[in-house]
This record gives sequence, structure tokens and C-alpha cells, in this order.
Amino acid sequence: MNITPRYLGRGSWLSGRDPRVLILSLAIYVFAVIQVWDIRILAVMWLIAFTYYRTAGIPFRAVRLNWGYVLFFVTFVVLANTIITGGELRGARLEELHIYGRVPLLNTPISAESVTYAIAQLLRFTSMAALGFPLAFAIAPGDIGPAFARLGIPDKFAYAVEMTFRFIPSLAADVRTTIDAQRIRGYDWERAGRGPVGKLTRTVPIMVPVTINAIVGAEDTIDAMDLRGFGTGRRSWLRQLAMGRVDRLVIGAFLVLFAVITVLSFSGLTRLWTPPFLISLAGG
Amino acid sequence: MSMSMTRDNLWEVTSRTIVYAAIGAALYAVLVQFSFLLPGTANVSLRPGFAIVTFFGVAFGPIVGLFTGLVGNAIGDQISGWGLLTSWNWSVANGLVGLLAGLLPVYLLSGISNKIVMAAAAAAIAVIVGFLFVFTDLIIGTADTFDTALSANYLPVVISNLISAVILTPILVLVWEPIKEQMGR
Repeated sequence: MNITPRYLGRGSWLSGRDPRVLILSLAIYVFAVIQVWDIRILAVMWLIAFTYYRTAGIPFRAVRLNWGYVLFFVTFVVLANTIITGGELRGARLEELHIYGRVPLLNTPISAESVTYAIAQLLRFTSMAALGFPLAFAIAPGDIGPAFARLGIPDKFAYAVEMTFRFIPSLAADVRTTIDAQRIRGYDWERAGRGPVGKLTRTVPIMVPVTINAIVGAEDTIDAMDLRGFGTGRRSWLRQLAMGRVDRLVIGAFLVLFAVITVLSFSGLTRLWTPPFLISLAGG
Repeated sequence: MSMSMTRDNLWEVTSRTIVYAAIGAALYAVLVQFSFLLPGTANVSLRPGFAIVTFFGVAFGPIVGLFTGLVGNAIGDQISGWGLLTSWNWSVANGLVGLLAGLLPVYLLSGISNKIVMAAAAAAIAVIVGFLFVFTDLIIGTADTFDTALSANYLPVVISNLISAVILTPILVLVWEPIKEQMGR
């Protein structure tokens, strides 16, 4: 179980940007892409997202499991939406659909529109993930706190966010140590419990010691912070962030994208668009 | 009665609040990686780590609970590669559960003297109410219809997290209470 945040994009063009650029770009992109269902626009946005992702220099072999997880989850969301919503995709009426066939047992129609909808979902989520990966892997761990603080989050909470990232590796190590210690006592994590309650109670020998040790161990950190007068005045950060011209340009470009998409959306030009060749496949 | 939380100190942000919030979020991000499929279902996985959100809310108050759910879920998504903000509304929903778990013992459930029953009730109500926020998937477009949002999003997450929270939160409270007394907290 490797859950320690990894700084895989070290030295890349994107990692050289002010960390606020990575946070703001993702936030702006997410609010832009959720307005779009037209797969032509989504394809352009997908290209922008993956061009951005490439500049983070994240080696694929280091994140292929993460991409596997993303693709699995996206596939589940797409299938759930397509199968459950059936003929009511984005307000389309059943009689308007160009149906290829129906899912056995569920009788959900598989149509040109539902295939387009699935493609749109796939483009949306994979592009959002492409912008999320640099945030996960191309920000220096020490920059996270100051970045959030400079974005206007109160210092105390920005510090808490940074502290969370710093606690993760040691807590992950504690989990591993606890599992090993319990195994020596005969505990078998892999052995299935009886029913959901049995399965849950089997996690108690791990959950309880890890949680309580973490809380008790926190006293040292609390004392250290109190002794240094934490929270008594405005906090200063060792890392000073300064946004350069390129950083402003990147954020500006994403803002322009957001503005264009919003205008298109209000004009009704971002709705689901079904490619004619998919319609012709249904004989329509 | 909510452990040492009272209506007067509920919104205080001290170094203790910050450290507990950070530990809660980190623990949640770590422990949420353990999950297993609920027998007889296709997509409902039990996540024992979710009980951290309700436990930290009940034990340390609404601010710690909110931070644990919101930041812990976002960082868990971040570590998996899904992205900090991709499912931002789900992180908010997790945060709301923690917030409610911290508020309920002081307000709605203050009459319950049995700490175990109170912890279980607070966790249950917090999960059922807090996760209503995932219906924002209808606005965002992750769910296309109310039926999808209900059957593919809300119900699976509520069933799974309800089981984890109702069973594990009282156990954690049961273990933490005597230690807290011992530590003089």
C-alpha cells in the first residue's frame, strides 16, 4: 500500500509554476467542463487538459495504477448513468432516440444518443482527472500550505491542510506496523468475516490502535505548537510565493476558456450533440 | 452531552482543533483505501475508514468533523489520482457528515445519556442527512436523473457508510473515553 503523496513532476514546466496556478486551473476547468455535453467542444477541452497534463512530466509507469482506478471509476459512472437513465438522456424523449438494441433483462435502450452521452462522460471525467493529476503529483509537498494560505484560506486551516499531507506517510507506516503486529498475534486481515458486520469488526484490531495512537501521539505536536505561540498572531510562511507573468497567463487562459464556455452554454450551444454517423448506424 | 464539547466552545479553533483536524483528515485519507464489497451487491463497498469522519465529529466537534470529511475525502481522491476537486461535491458531503456528527450530540441528541447510543445515533443521522448533498450531481451532470442520483449515488453510499459509521463510531468512542479521562482532556 503506497499512499504517500509523490512529487513525480519535479523539475517539469508545470512544477515550476506557482502552486496556486495548479489549484486555480483545476477549479476553473472543472466549472467550465461541467457546462458542456457537446462532444466536439469536449474533445477540444480534452486536448487542452492533456496538453496541460503533459507539461507536468509525470512518468506514466509511476501512475498507471492511478489511471487504472480513474478509468474503472469513470466506466462505472458512465455505465450506471447510461443503463439507469435509459431513454431519458439529457431530456431526450424515447421516441426521438436512434436505437441500436436493448440491454437484456433491463430493457434499457442502447441508442446513438446514449453512446454519445457515454463518450461525453468519458471525455469530461478523464480530462478532469488529467488536470487533477498534476495537483497530486507536481506540487512540492512544502508548497501546499502556503499555496492555500495565499488563496485566502485562513492561516490556521491552510496549516492544517499542510499538516494533513505531512501526517499521511507516518500514519500509513503506522497502519502497516499495526497490521504486522496483529498478524504476529494471529490476526489475518485477508480472512473474510461472516457478513458485513463480521467483516467490519475484523477491521477493529487495525482501526482502533491506529486511531487512538494517532490522537494520543498528537499531544507532542499540540504542545510544540502551543510552546511556539501558534495562533497568537499572523502566521508567516518559510516559502514565499510570487506569481510570474507565465503563471498569470496560464490562469488567464483558463479564465478565457471558462468565459467562452459559459457564453456558449447560455446560448444553448453546449448541449448533447449526436454525430450523424452514429445516427446512421441505427438506420436513422 | 458530547464528550468535552459544549455549546460555548463548539466553534473554538485552537492548536488542538488544528492538529486533531489534520490527524482526522490524514487518517481518513489513509484508512479509506481499505474497502470490500458488501455481499450480495454489485457496487456497494464497505469502507471502515469512513467511521473516522463521524468519530472525529462526535469526539472533537463540528470543525474537526467538517475538516476530516472535507479534506480527508479530497486528499484520498488526490492520492488515488482522481483529483482534489473532481468530485468536490462528494468531499463537501463528507464534510457535512462530520459537521453534523459534531453538532448533533450538543443540540438534537443532548438528552441521550448513554454515550454509545448517542454516538451511533449521531453517526446515523449525520450520514443520512449529510449525504443528501450528493444530489448536486444532478446539477453538475454526474447523474442525469433523480433515479440515477438516488440508486447509483445516494443509496449505495448511505447504506455502506451507515453500516461502517453505526458499528465503528461507538467502538471508537468506547475506547477513546477512558483514555481521554486518563489524559485529563
